[in-house]
Amino acid sequence: MTAKTFVCRAADVPANGIREVGTAGGLKLLVANAGDDYYGYQAICPHQDVPLCEGLYDGSVLTCHMHLWQWDVRTGAPIGLAEAPLEKYPLIVEEGAIYLGVQPSALDVGELFHGIAPRCIEALVALARRETHELGSVLYRPGDPAADFFVLEAGRVEFLIGRDDRTSPGGFMLKKGEVFGWAALLDGQPARIASARCLERSELLRINGRAALQVLESEPAAGFDVMRRLAALIARYLASSGAK
Amino acid sequence: MRVQVNARNRGFQFEARPDEQVLYAGLRAGVDLPYECGTGTCGTCKAKLVAGRARDAWPQAPGRKYLKPGQGEILMCQCVAEGDLTLEVSNFVNASDPGACTPGACSGLLRDQKTLTHDVMSFGVELDRPRDFDAGQFVVMAAPGVVGYRAYSMVNYERAARRLEFVVKRKLGGGFSEWLFGSVREGAPLALFGPLGKATFYPAVGRNILCIAGGSGIAGMMSILARATEERYFESHDGWMFFGVRTMCDAFFLEELSRIRGNFPGRLAITVALSDGPVPASAARDWPGLQFAHGLVHEAVKHAMAGKYRNVRAYVAGPPLAVDAALRVLLLEAKLTADNIRYDKFT
Repeated sequence: MTAKTFVCRAADVPANGIREVGTAGGLKLLVANAGDDYYGYQAICPHQDVPLCEGLYDGSVLTCHMHLWQWDVRTGAPIGLAEAPLEKYPLIVEEGAIYLGVQPSALDVGELFHGIAPRCIEALVALARRETHELGSVLYRPGDPAADFFVLEAGRVEFLIGRDDRTSPGGFMLKKGEVFGWAALLDGQPARIASARCLERSELLRINGRAALQVLESEPAAGFDVMRRLAALIARYLASSGAK
Repeated sequence: MRVQVNARNRGFQFEARPDEQVLYAGLRAGVDLPYECGTGTCGTCKAKLVAGRARDAWPQAPGRKYLKPGQGEILMCQCVAEGDLTLEVSNFVNASDPGACTPGACSGLLRDQKTLTHDVMSFGVELDRPRDFDAGQFVVMAAPGVVGYRAYSMVNYERAARRLEFVVKRKLGGGFSEWLFGSVREGAPLALFGPLGKATFYPAVGRNILCIAGGSGIAGMMSILARATEERYFESHDGWMFFGVRTMCDAFFLEELSRIRGNFPGRLAITVALSDGPVPASAARDWPGLQFAHGLVHEAVKHAMAGKYRNVRAYVAGPPLAVDAALRVLLLEAKLTADNIRYDKFT
C-alpha cells in the first residue's frame, strides 16, 4: 500500500473559503471548503493561467476574477461563461487532515461524461482500451472508418481537415478528458473527415462508439445527458462568437 | 504577409500589412481573436509562435509578464509579422459576430481639447471617414511622437459617426495623457484602430441597466446612456448609474448627466459617489436631478441596489481596484450571472 499524499490540514482552509496548496509531489491544488465538505481542483484556471485562489468564492460557486468563468464547487462543472470544467482531485479527510484520493478516469473528467451515473461510467471504462501513441503517430485519416472515439488522458492531438496538400487546421486537444472522433457516436457518419495526429507522446482511451451507445441506451437518463452535451460540444465547433 | 492562426477549434488565415500588429490584422479580417485591452497590458491576446519571424513592437509591454519564458509566446497586439507567420492560440476562436462593427484602422484630427477638472480633459477626433461603433466600445489611439497605442472609450454614440468624443485622465508618466495635457493639440493628427471591446449595450438586451463607473471609466457609460436615450430605453426599463470620484472637484459631466436624467425622471437614477470626504450641502442644491453619496462607488451600489437586482445587466469600468470591488458586489451579493456583467479593466 502506498502512503497517502498529504494535502493540508482541514483547519488551514477557511470556512466556506479557498486556499492554494502544494503537495510534496509538486502538485498544486485549490482546496475549497463548503460546510462539512472539502473539494480539490486544479489550482490554475483552465482559461488563461490565472491562479484560482485569487478568485471569488461564496461557498458554492467559484469564480475566476479574470474573465468571470465560474464552476459548481461540488462537481467542477462549468457555469455561465466558463467553457471548460475544472479538473477535480478527490480528497479524503481523516482526523482533521486532508489527503489526495484516487484520481478519476479521464472519462469522468471530460465534459461529455463527467458526473453521469457511476454505473454508466464504469461500463464505459470497461469498454475503454488504454493506448499510448508516440509523437507524430497518426490515429486516423480522412475516409477511415469512424468506429471508435477517443478520450485524451494526457498529451496533445491535432486535427487536419481535407487531404493531400489541401488541408486546413481543425484545432487541437490538450486537456485531460477531452473527447474526439465523436463521429463514432453519430448516425450517418461512417468515415473520418479529418486526420488526427499526436503532437507529443499521448495517452488515450479508445472506446467503440456502437458499444458506448448501447451502454447509454440502457441508462436513458445518462444517455440523454450525454447526447445533450454532445450537441453542445458540436455546436461549439460550429459556432460564431455571436452577440452575448 | 500571410498569417495562419491555429486555434483550439479550427484554423484561420488572413493578410497582415507591413508594420501592422497581428491582432489588428486578424480583427480587421473578421477573425474574433482573443483580446481585451489591445494595448499590451492584459496578456489576453497571447499566442505561440510556431513558424515564421515576428518583431515585437514593444518589448517592455507589461502584458509580457503573462507569457511563459522560453516557449516562443508573444502578444498578438504587439507583434508584427516579418514574413509569413503561423501562430497557435489555445482558445476557441470563431469568425466575428456578423452584427458586430468590424474594426479597422483610420485617422483623425484632434479637436476642441477642453479641461474638465484639474486632471481630466475631453477632446474630439474628427475622422477621415464615418465609422460605426457600439455603445461601450473603445478605440486604440496613437499621437505623433508618442510610442504605442492607448485605449480610450467613446463618450458619444451615433451610427456612421464623423466624430468621436473622449475623456482622458492625466496619468503621471502616461505617454498619451502627458502629451495631451502638455500643450494645445488642436488639429494634431491621430492614428486610430477600432472599434474594440465587448462591454457593449444594445437595446435588444431587454434588461434593466446598472452602470458603475470610477473616474474616467464614465466615458463608455455616457455612450451607453446616449444610445439608451436615443432609443427611449428608460421608458420601459429601469436604469441606475453610479459615478465614483474623489470629491466634487473631481466630478465632471454633471450637466450632461442631469440632462439625461431629466428625460426619464421616473426610471433612471444617477448617483455620484464621493470617496474622499462628506457630500457638500451645495451638491444637492446645484444638481437637483442627481443623488450624492459618501463612500466608494461599490459601497454606494451595495447600499442603493439591495433587492433591485432582478433582470439586471451591469456594466462596469474604471480603475482596476474599483472594478474588482464592484465585481465582488455583483457576483457575491447581487448574485448576477457572469454573462450579465460586462466590464473593462485596464484604465
